[in-house]
Amino acid sequence: MLEVTGLTIRAGGTALVEDLSLDLATERLTCLIGPSGCGKSSVIKWLSGVLALELQAQGDARLDETTLSLPHPAIAYQPQQDTLFPWLTILENAALGLEIRGAPRNVARDKVRPLFSTFGLQGHEDSFPDQLSGGMRQRAAFLRTMVQDARVLLLDEPFSALDAVTRLKMQDWLTARLADDPRAVLLVTHDLFEATQIADRILVMGRNPGRIVADIPVTTPRIDRTEASLADTRSMLKSLLLEDTE
Amino acid sequence: MSVVRHILPAVILAIACLGGWEAYVALTGTSPLVLPAPSDVLNGLRVERTAIARHAAATIGVASVGFGLSVLFAIAVSVALHFAGWLRRGMMPLLVASQTVPIVALAPLMVLWFGFGLLPKVLLVILVTFFPMVVSLMAGYATLPRAFRDQLVSMGAGRWQVFRRATLPSARGHFFAGLRISATYAIVATIFAEYAGARRGLGIYILTAKNNFRADLVLSAVVVSALLTLALLALIQLVDRLTGRRYRRATHA
Repeated sequence: MLEVTGLTIRAGGTALVEDLSLDLATERLTCLIGPSGCGKSSVIKWLSGVLALELQAQGDARLDETTLSLPHPAIAYQPQQDTLFPWLTILENAALGLEIRGAPRNVARDKVRPLFSTFGLQGHEDSFPDQLSGGMRQRAAFLRTMVQDARVLLLDEPFSALDAVTRLKMQDWLTARLADDPRAVLLVTHDLFEATQIADRILVMGRNPGRIVADIPVTTPRIDRTEASLADTRSMLKSLLLEDTE
Repeated sequence: MSVVRHILPAVILAIACLGGWEAYVALTGTSPLVLPAPSDVLNGLRVERTAIARHAAATIGVASVGFGLSVLFAIAVSVALHFAGWLRRGMMPLLVASQTVPIVALAPLMVLWFGFGLLPKVLLVILVTFFPMVVSLMAGYATLPRAFRDQLVSMGAGRWQVFRRATLPSARGHFFAGLRISATYAIVATIFAEYAGARRGLGIYILTAKNNFRADLVLSAVVVSALLTLALLALIQLVDRLTGRRYRRATHA
């Protein structure tokens, strides 16, 4: 289990996030939702070791009681944009994380290549990112993130750049992928429909300063999640989000 | 077809200018000592081709060594400036100041300090050509999208890995832009260095022709100098095309 305790992030004298604590259970998809500017992306960037230099952070991250030095190989981060390098092929992009962690180039690529069919990218090993559709690019980014074998995945609004139909398909695809290859996932989103559709648990952040204001488990099995069955949860989330923006 | 479309306007314009020049000389009866017609220049090139070729070869040699070293120097300086902020803050004003020194004043001093050999000419070519490349590279390094850097750092990449895997490839377009600007200076700088003092080269050939009132031969050497610069630019274009297909792709981050 990943635990974050006492996280405070400041910009000069202003606290963006104050004394935030959260935990991520193994094999669960947790959505972090909140209004713009509440610091949800800052939290995920801090956990990834890429917090902006002008921000100061204090807090602890522990994995199974061991304090982590960030960035850490047990945590893989996927930023908002797919960040596939345009000058690398999809295979080269997908193997990048492994190579940076020290795997020889051939070993890294041999490990990635068999996964292309699982990620719906077969035949695109030598394609460049600009030759792929938005959904395929996102799957390639997921491949690069998941192949790193990190126990925790931090996904910062991974579907925000996709059109509505592709987004729905990718949400289903991701939950199916995680069912086959479970990890502890923290997914940042500002979309309460998305959160209720895919999460096992939803953490709601408030702002000024950023903090967790609600921890909502979503117990309905994904297959049974319909507009009707999720109506109460969505209504509660909507109230919490509107309350905080007033 | 696109090559024809790109080159044709320049060819037509050049022919029109040369035709106008030829007609002006013929109609006004201007002395070839003052303004030789393009046909005189062409004739001078034909008659003096062996001598001009010998001097051009010397110029190519100096320009190649000077420009080659300049490229390496520019890359090394830009990397050092990229990694050391205090060095960047300290050196950039000095580098800018170095570009304000007139080449007219510097070339004779180089000869005075380092003699008539290769060294003063190479130093002058480096001094003239490395700055645009350094500035272009620095600008190119700054274009790296923040998200790319974050992605690599989250994977455990250190500063050098980020530089090698993302910053440097991101700067490729800027590097070639700077290289093209510098290339246009390289031959001219070499000729100027030779002009200030040399045993062989287009610069000394131009000086001798001028002293002999042979404007046609001065212009013949100028034509060769222009052709050399165009050849260098074409070579850079070729290298860019052959090696850079994957780097010309769109950035989405």
